[in-house]
Amino acid sequence: MRLRDQLWLSFHNLMLHKVRSILTSLGIIFGVGSVIAMLAISEGAKIQALAQIEAMGTDKIIVATRKPPASGKDVSDSSGQSLMDRYGITRVDLDHIRRMDNVEQVSVARNSRKKILSGMKRLDLSLVGVSIDFLKFSRSDIVQGRWLSNIDGINNTCVIGLNVKRSLFSLGQKDIIGSTIMVEKDIFRVVGILENSHGTNIPGVGSPNDCIFVTIMASDSIFGKKAYDTSSRNPVVEDVDFDTFIVQVRDVSYIDYTSKRIAAYMSKVHSETKDWTMLVPLDLLKQQEATQNIFTIVMSSIAGISLLVGGIGIMNIMLANVYERRKEIGTRRALGAQKGDIIRQFLFETIFLTSLGGGTGVALGIFIAKMVTLYADMPTAFSLWFIVLALVISAVIGVLFGTYPAWKAAQQNPIEVLRSE
Amino acid sequence: MPEQKKERKRENLREALHLEDIRKAYHTGSGDVPVLKGINYDIWRGEFIGIMGTSGSGKSTMLNILGLLDKPTGGLYRLDGIDVSRMSDYELTRVRNIKIGFVFQAFNLFPHLTVQENIEVPMLYAEVPAKKRHEISAYMAERVRLGHRLDHRPNQLSGGECQRVAVARSLVNSPTFILADEPTGNLDEKTGAEIMNLFHELHDAGTTIVMVTHNPYYEPHYDRVIYLRNGTVWKIIDNIAGYTQEYQ
Repeated sequence: MRLRDQLWLSFHNLMLHKVRSILTSLGIIFGVGSVIAMLAISEGAKIQALAQIEAMGTDKIIVATRKPPASGKDVSDSSGQSLMDRYGITRVDLDHIRRMDNVEQVSVARNSRKKILSGMKRLDLSLVGVSIDFLKFSRSDIVQGRWLSNIDGINNTCVIGLNVKRSLFSLGQKDIIGSTIMVEKDIFRVVGILENSHGTNIPGVGSPNDCIFVTIMASDSIFGKKAYDTSSRNPVVEDVDFDTFIVQVRDVSYIDYTSKRIAAYMSKVHSETKDWTMLVPLDLLKQQEATQNIFTIVMSSIAGISLLVGGIGIMNIMLANVYERRKEIGTRRALGAQKGDIIRQFLFETIFLTSLGGGTGVALGIFIAKMVTLYADMPTAFSLWFIVLALVISAVIGVLFGTYPAWKAAQQNPIEVLRSE
Repeated sequence: MPEQKKERKRENLREALHLEDIRKAYHTGSGDVPVLKGINYDIWRGEFIGIMGTSGSGKSTMLNILGLLDKPTGGLYRLDGIDVSRMSDYELTRVRNIKIGFVFQAFNLFPHLTVQENIEVPMLYAEVPAKKRHEISAYMAERVRLGHRLDHRPNQLSGGECQRVAVARSLVNSPTFILADEPTGNLDEKTGAEIMNLFHELHDAGTTIVMVTHNPYYEPHYDRVIYLRNGTVWKIIDNIAGYTQEYQ
């Protein structure tokens, strides 16, 4: 029998029993649907996480100050209350790290720990002193004006992040460049607006969008290195040299070696308190990928089970179908249908069923994922490969679970139908 | 009883079927049960043959073997010059498709297909191109006087019309012979007579027909009647030559 006729015949038979066909493929529809939805959600989460990690740059090592849990090197008065709290990564560390092999450049940042107020309301923004090359390291872009340069020196010029602009200036306000903002008693002139679209989150600094950047020289000369912290019950003067080193390596293939060197040095020098952390985005990336792989394996197993159940359901119904259509099968055999023709007829029917189920399932999955994005505000992403995969898998399930009923159909003895009823 | 039958002469006889010592035994728990015990006869092209016998005479088994649905355990069965007694299932199906036209007692039409599609089914398996299928099926429907019913479905037709569709279906691959199994069994007397007339028309046009039946009423319709009893040919009535040959 010609393939075209064969395909048409199988399709025609399915269309005869529309409701039954839909009910039969429900298992596959929901199986594939949930698989697609879950894959989309996990893919979305993965892309988001990877983007955040990659936004820091995979050729970088970040060393950041961490506030020790208990006060470290204290300068205490007689009452035992801390007045001075000195911790974090230091200028000495910086000089050391700069001289290490494979270290290309180190960009630094220091959070001035100033409260940024808008009227009486404290804003979740920070004023950060940075080295001139910080822009490149933070993977941000200037959207208006210019970035800080050496000319700025110790001048009161600043570049503000996009969120800073949003919280300090009204919507649609022009002439932001050149206008001034006030931090404590100091006035800064805005020379540029910066945007970070990668979702970078720099340890010790935060998102560049939430920062007011000044040169580190300006920060040092205007605010000094000490910050008066009144947020705790006992007022403390915090003395921190730097909050963040962004270390760019020369050769990424030796990044492991370099990060180990830095870690060894840091733990030797800061042996008393663990007042620093180190972050290697490349390691995080690898970890994330490993976690993702495990997640994918677990997901595939669950998907496999639900598809298995769907497949068994289809096999069951196809077997009943074969029994119901013994007379048709026998007549076809008598009229010249080969066993192969019968096998193909039923197999194609099953494959059509599962493929249609798979296709509907993909649509359902995309719908569910869109709903999740809409109502739960979780990112979802689709890639073509898992839609193709879902369709291929449902076709394979059709073959897998359709073969036995089809074979069973071909074994029907045509003599039976010639018997008078 | 058509008169012209007697006038027809047998000349240039060509063999359609040749059966030689056909045996069939079924295996049961208590040994083999022979059903056909050595059947011998020839059927010539253009003949209208009736195969008769009471139940248990081996008539059904004979039908299955003639229709290549069952294999004999012994003997030679030659169909249109080809020995089909040792063929594989695949080859038998192929021969069945193009050399035998089946007409069943219960019509065995496909209820979800139209008249035309039903008629085309054997051509699907013979891989006839669609255009030619439509031509042939329309012609055959015309031949059984159902040309106006091409788009109807079997449930919209009467029993007699259904059987005519089945007859049209049996003709499409120009088979060597038509094998009809009690074709009037599910029809009333009048409709049955119409179907018999249709077979006579086909016969007059040169089609070879083998009809398996237990209905002795139709006996005079056939060119020859082969009677089976206890798994052997008991007697052959030749309506053309006008004599009866009895065996044993």
